Amino acid sequence: MAIWLDVNSRSGVPIYVQIVEQVKHAIEVGAVQPGDQLPTVRQLAIDLTIAPNTIVKAYNELQMLGLIESKAGMGTIVANLNGSIRKQQTETLLARLHDVVRDAASLGISAEELAARFDAEINQFYKQGKE
Amino acid sequence: MSTTTAIKQEALPVTSEAAAIEINNLVVSYGDKRAVDGLSLSVPIGSVYGFLGPNGAGKTTTIKTLLGFRQPNGGSAKVLGYDIVTQSLALRARVGYVSEVNSMYDYLTIPQMADFCRATSLRWDQSAVDRYLKMFGLPLKARVKQLSKGMKSQLAFSLAMGSQPDLLILDEPTSGLDPIARHDLLNQLVGEVAAGGTTVFFSSHILSEVEAVADWVGIINAGKLVISSELDQLKSSQKVLKLIYAEAPPPAEIDALRALPGAVRVDQEGRSVRITVHGDVNTLSQLVQARPYALRDAEIVDLNLEDIFLEYMKEGGNGR
Repeated sequence: MAIWLDVNSRSGVPIYVQIVEQVKHAIEVGAVQPGDQLPTVRQLAIDLTIAPNTIVKAYNELQMLGLIESKAGMGTIVANLNGSIRKQQTETLLARLHDVVRDAASLGISAEELAARFDAEINQFYKQGKE
Repeated sequence: MSTTTAIKQEALPVTSEAAAIEINNLVVSYGDKRAVDGLSLSVPIGSVYGFLGPNGAGKTTTIKTLLGFRQPNGGSAKVLGYDIVTQSLALRARVGYVSEVNSMYDYLTIPQMADFCRATSLRWDQSAVDRYLKMFGLPLKARVKQLSKGMKSQLAFSLAMGSQPDLLILDEPTSGLDPIARHDLLNQLVGEVAAGGTTVFFSSHILSEVEAVADWVGIINAGKLVISSELDQLKSSQKVLKLIYAEAPPPAEIDALRALPGAVRVDQEGRSVRITVHGDVNTLSQLVQARPYALRDAEIVDLNLEDIFLEYMKEGGNGR
């Protein structure tokens, strides 16, 4: 059972969107690796108690994004992304950095103060790494 | 029973259906009262279709008419391509039905009941029936009259699956079931029945269970269709835009908001305004923000099926 999938059918977010986002996230953080098998449509329908067509729709979307592929005899597997995962991870990280800076600005934190805090975090973490 | 045997010997008429169920302007009356009043509805093949509506909306009457138990007073309908009036026997050979009030013979045991159904069915898969009976843990030696309400619906479901239906119609299948039995039944519906390619059409007024298992929903009220849509599509296209203004907007502005494309309902309470949106909420949000009244906050709120259902009942005016 894919315990990293957790669909909330009571949410206003379409279920297939939730599945797509969660599989994407699982790939980004490495919960599933290239070549790993994803549950079959039937298995996932039973595990999550949702209509099989909804899962087919999510898998089709993920296939279009190039994140998963169907292989005869192997079912649905996470695609080999050849470094594009790392690229995507980096992009996600930079987007988060962008958000943090924007939020800090809207809280009225000055550029100097933010830069100082950022330096402090870097020093602390990279120092720890060296020990 | 002779009629059923007669069909067994000849092949079923071939149909080329595009939809599992196609209802066209159907009218069914009880005396003066129109229980179904010009209903049109299409159920895609392979879908798990949740058929919703308040009590007395006409759900059961629609289902009974589709199965040929009642004659329509107007309009037409096809089930798996078969006309419900002229081809109702062929239709029933390919459709499984689990009714709200199960009509089974009280004095028969479960195996006798299965034998009876096998004798009257065109196709029969006893191993499927046995599998479901075992899964529900039904006492095989018991007579039907000794079973609880929940067990009877589990038995009816198991027997309906024995005829290997292409379409399974269920009328309030989980009423009277405890939470575990309900979960088991819904799991079977999606994991075995729907994943096996059978179209599932079930009525319910428990919105959370429909929301969980259905990929299509139809809402009826007072015998008429309110909406029929893919559930995900419905959730993507229906939102609420919550606005907080710096100062309470004048009535003229509220009227202007009502006229914006996609706004179906506008409620105001002082500085707060709530717009129900069908369609593109982002465009609407931009239009609202471009208007000359200062906003403190604009938030797009997702709606779950219950919210959507209640919104439609409010719009209809005659809901409860």
